[in-house]
Amino acid sequence: MLFDINPSAAVPIYRQIIEQVRRMVAGGLLKPGDELPSVRRVAAQHAVNPMTVSKAYSLLEAEGLAMRQRGVGMVIAQRQPVRELPDRLELLRPSLQAAAQHARQLEIPVRDALALFKNELQGDKQ
Amino acid sequence: MTMTQPQLNPPLAAWPDADDPVVLEDVTLAYGATIALADASLRLPTGAVVGLAGSNGAGKSSLIRCLLGLTLPQSGRIRLLGEDPLELSDAARARLGYVPQTPELIEWMKVEQHLDYIGAFYPGWDAARVAHWCREWSLDPRQKVVGLSLGQKQKLSLLLALGHAPQLLVLDEPVASLDPLMRREFMRTLFDQAPERTALISSHLLSDLERVITHLVLMKNGRVLLVDEWDALNENLRRVVSPTRLPSGPGVLAQRTSSEDTTAVIDTRQFPLSDLPSGARQVMAMNLDELFVELMS
Repeated sequence: MLFDINPSAAVPIYRQIIEQVRRMVAGGLLKPGDELPSVRRVAAQHAVNPMTVSKAYSLLEAEGLAMRQRGVGMVIAQRQPVRELPDRLELLRPSLQAAAQHARQLEIPVRDALALFKNELQGDKQ
Repeated sequence: MTMTQPQLNPPLAAWPDADDPVVLEDVTLAYGATIALADASLRLPTGAVVGLAGSNGAGKSSLIRCLLGLTLPQSGRIRLLGEDPLELSDAARARLGYVPQTPELIEWMKVEQHLDYIGAFYPGWDAARVAHWCREWSLDPRQKVVGLSLGQKQKLSLLLALGHAPQLLVLDEPVASLDPLMRREFMRTLFDQAPERTALISSHLLSDLERVITHLVLMKNGRVLLVDEWDALNENLRRVVSPTRLPSGPGVLAQRTSSEDTTAVIDTRQFPLSDLPSGARQVMAMNLDELFVELMS
């Protein structure tokens, strides 16, 4: 499993990792018991600071989403915090904020941006 | 862009650890009428990986040279690994690695000769590791230093600073002549040896810094303008466009006014978005490149 990390994004790296794990768990791509790649591996792969990866993992642990398992490392927790729709919407917020920023920079009218998003949503269903 | 009162954030006193490996307090250095450092203060905790950024002439190299005792400031207090840098003990020296802006190498030696020569000064020299990096970085040990390209010299200079696994690494533009792949490789090496290593890295290559730093230090005109955890800056500094000028004070780091509006950088911890005047728009997070441009121009 690989993280998609963009160090030059305006979102801190640790937050990018947390949000990806949250999304993958919410979407079922990561299941209870699944291992997360080791801190060392993520750090080496992306040439980022291991402390940043540790910070993300610790916060995921505090949140109850992942847990440390001896001999294995970080795994997705068996019992996941229940996520109601408002929670799931919160998970979507960061990527929409980024998209909104891009739309403003490109001076795209709200109506067109919304139409495009709607299109993308429906495109996924096909 | 007019700057408000320079912010030291968090204040020096907020770092409780008296054993911080790097402490500079009110350091002033002038060459004749030219001010290189003006009351520069900086304190770095153990394990911090610190990016030192600023325009040319902002005082980055002067700060590093004063810290290492290579230049004597007119006033101020400096502690390097808990000691006076001008009377550094051998024990402290063995814990310190430094890469100068221009490689200071012995030109007539071969690469391996040079490595052995410097290695002999350090009881903890890891010859096997160094040989490994030579291979990884395609640095031919049999080549004479005089014949190396600038990039190759920089690699050698880095190896000379890393070979004894120092706990504090001070790097002054260490990778300027290296290609992106090699720079990435070097960033990995930073974390290879000592887990609690503190590093101070001066660089213009902000996208490299962004990958690895825990803290950012921004310098301008010989002053330390901003010190904070990079994640916190990333999350709390915002660029906004406002129809009117913001009241200058804590939380407003910079503003630039044109005939139509004002572009400002605010710290939302001190200046909440709700305090923005009505009509303010384009609240944007910034990466390091963008922050640098907003605060330095």
